Amino acid sequence: MIRVVALRKAAVAGVAGAAAWEAVLRSLILAGVPTFDIVKSLGTLVFPQGPASAWWPTGMAAHVLVGICWAVFYAYFFWSRFDWRPPLQGLVFAALPAVLALAIVSPQLGLMQLDADEVQLTRDLIMPPLSALEIGGLVLGHAIFGLVVGAIYVRPVGYRNEPVGKRLAKVRERPRKAANGRPQGAGFIFAAGIECSYPTIEQGKWRRDEMDEMRHYQWWQRDFELAREIGITHLRCGPPLHLVLGGPGRFQWDLVDEPMAELEQFGPEPIVDLCHFGVPEWLGDFQNPEIAKALGEYAGAFAERYPWVRFYTPINEMYVTARMSTLDGLWNEQRKDESAFVTAALNLVAANVAMTEAILAKRPDAVFIQSESSEFYQACCPEPSIEERAAFENERRFLPLDLLFGHEVGDEMLGYLQQHGREAEYRRYLSREVPKRTVLGVDYYQWNEKLVDRDGQPRNLGELFGWSVIAGQYWRRYRRPMMHTETNFGNAAEAARWLWRQWHNVQLLRTEGVPLIGFTWYSLTDQTDWEIGLRRPDGTVDPVGLFDLNRDPRPVALSYKHLIDLHRDQPEYRECPALKELLN
Amino acid sequence: MASFLAAHGYDPGPTQRPLLTGAISGVLATVPAILVLHLFGSLEVEARILGTSIGATLAAGWLLMAVAGAVYARLFGRAANNRSGGWLFGAAFGFAVWAAGAVLVLPLVSGGRAPAGEAALGVFVSLVLWGAALGILVPFIHRPLHASLEEVSKRADVGPTAAAANGRRT
Repeated sequence: MIRVVALRKAAVAGVAGAAAWEAVLRSLILAGVPTFDIVKSLGTLVFPQGPASAWWPTGMAAHVLVGICWAVFYAYFFWSRFDWRPPLQGLVFAALPAVLALAIVSPQLGLMQLDADEVQLTRDLIMPPLSALEIGGLVLGHAIFGLVVGAIYVRPVGYRNEPVGKRLAKVRERPRKAANGRPQGAGFIFAAGIECSYPTIEQGKWRRDEMDEMRHYQWWQRDFELAREIGITHLRCGPPLHLVLGGPGRFQWDLVDEPMAELEQFGPEPIVDLCHFGVPEWLGDFQNPEIAKALGEYAGAFAERYPWVRFYTPINEMYVTARMSTLDGLWNEQRKDESAFVTAALNLVAANVAMTEAILAKRPDAVFIQSESSEFYQACCPEPSIEERAAFENERRFLPLDLLFGHEVGDEMLGYLQQHGREAEYRRYLSREVPKRTVLGVDYYQWNEKLVDRDGQPRNLGELFGWSVIAGQYWRRYRRPMMHTETNFGNAAEAARWLWRQWHNVQLLRTEGVPLIGFTWYSLTDQTDWEIGLRRPDGTVDPVGLFDLNRDPRPVALSYKHLIDLHRDQPEYRECPALKELLN
Repeated sequence: MASFLAAHGYDPGPTQRPLLTGAISGVLATVPAILVLHLFGSLEVEARILGTSIGATLAAGWLLMAVAGAVYARLFGRAANNRSGGWLFGAAFGFAVWAAGAVLVLPLVSGGRAPAGEAALGVFVSLVLWGAALGILVPFIHRPLHASLEEVSKRADVGPTAAAANGRRT
């Protein structure tokens, strides 16, 4: 699947496009312009001598049907291919059906209207001469169709950010395959994830919801089965916070109960991700200091309802959440302002702490896997301003984790917090006692290492030093048990190679004595629009999953299964010393 | 863009058997197409133009549709498994088969003779319907024909040496 297509929207666009064509061309024809009458040509195939009341509805029905087909075709293959205004995209696309209509369909319609069942083809039959007005009518009709389809078919994914709950589809009960139960031991974690981002864009008006776009709400049972088939032991997944948390103390658990029951009974064991890049509409965004209280209540209620859950990621990638929302201006508050970044980072950490405490109150032995994106900035050249920028960013990447783990920040970051009047809050975190069972999750993608160029702007470097080097920097700073919590690769043909290389990075750190408890391919299925950081609701599918959106395996799924089969029964993986120690 | 298209389209998944699936689906999709040809009287006209019996025309048609189905499933690869869009990809392919086969090739092999009137309409409708049916059938036929993950994941090329997939032995 190249794109996630909104079939209903495309169908509406096709109907509207065909209707607009007919409205304009019919007006011209009624005004006496002898142009090509597509509806009559189609209708008289069925009622050759019939009155207009017979051929018009028939012809119009066929015209609309063809319009729908072309609009869906546009949605799959052309929409968002170019960064043009939507009506222009539709107009350019319409050149394809226009050419086919002139070269093939129009002559064939002529043949079909003959009162014979067989002919000897002549030049005039193969390419009947059309008048300039007839050609003009066909071109004009297609242009109108394209403009209308282009104007209507926009935002195929996501939905209005309104305080309404969507329901998970009721999935028909299926026989479970490869049920391996929920492992309670201390084996090494071979994980995958259900990508569950739900930030808002367009100044909070439009909600992205990756689980909706990947059809996970419809296919969750199949997704869990696929994970079990691969041999995945743990699944990073999260309920849709923006749909479940309907207001203060209001939880719509019926969205979550069935999938959680399936995971409890059949596995894989969930690592529950409670907040992934967004908050419910009523909480606004990450500038709101109330999110700590609200998310704390939510986490406590979750832990009470599902007391069997052991692993939690209270807030996924706090640094990325704050950065994308307040510095890059892409999600949620969509600000580009340093002060907003500091506020978001502090609010996220406060929420994380509140959630952790609320969960511990219900489940004292809970394990917290605090996932963060590993980042690294390399100065391009020995220019003081460039080196300073890289050094600053290399400190800033740690800020949320420093606060969470009560780690002292560097001088420059301290000055940064003072500049924004937040030093007192920072000081309070320094005395915080971090829960014993806390794991540092370090994510890594090919864009995590950046070069600060001569203009002071970051550019993607690809894999320069690699996960083991960058994760090693995080390890030396925090000295916590670690887990590789996310990776994938955009080129599906190279993904298996990337998987094994990431795995060898994990092995390297383990042999150096770093207590590593798990590895994750993220995600189970392809995702949408990450190539553009979810900034537009295009619906373009990123082929990064173990399975595509039809739930057919990609080569990397075979590699991951091979990897798991090869290692899971080795003594040091069957019982992972670092995880065993953590759980004890 | 090439790798993107390969990932979504023409590279079939590692457990897929596109040729077999396409051929089976192509044969099955021919059933409704034959009904349409019969209703429009197109079958008799085509047999007459080709100078063969209806039975021979049907047999040849079935064989061609099996091949065309296999070509479809191989060409669309991974995309052919899309349950929501299969009908459209198939119908587009059926349109292409009509444009190439019925409009271009048939007149060439028959000395310029071609169906007209209702018979021509029947040929068009039957091929687009065949394509749509093919596109709908492929994902469903394909699923039970997949190779098992268990079996395919044991292949050496997906194992540890994949880490050095672009490397040479030194």
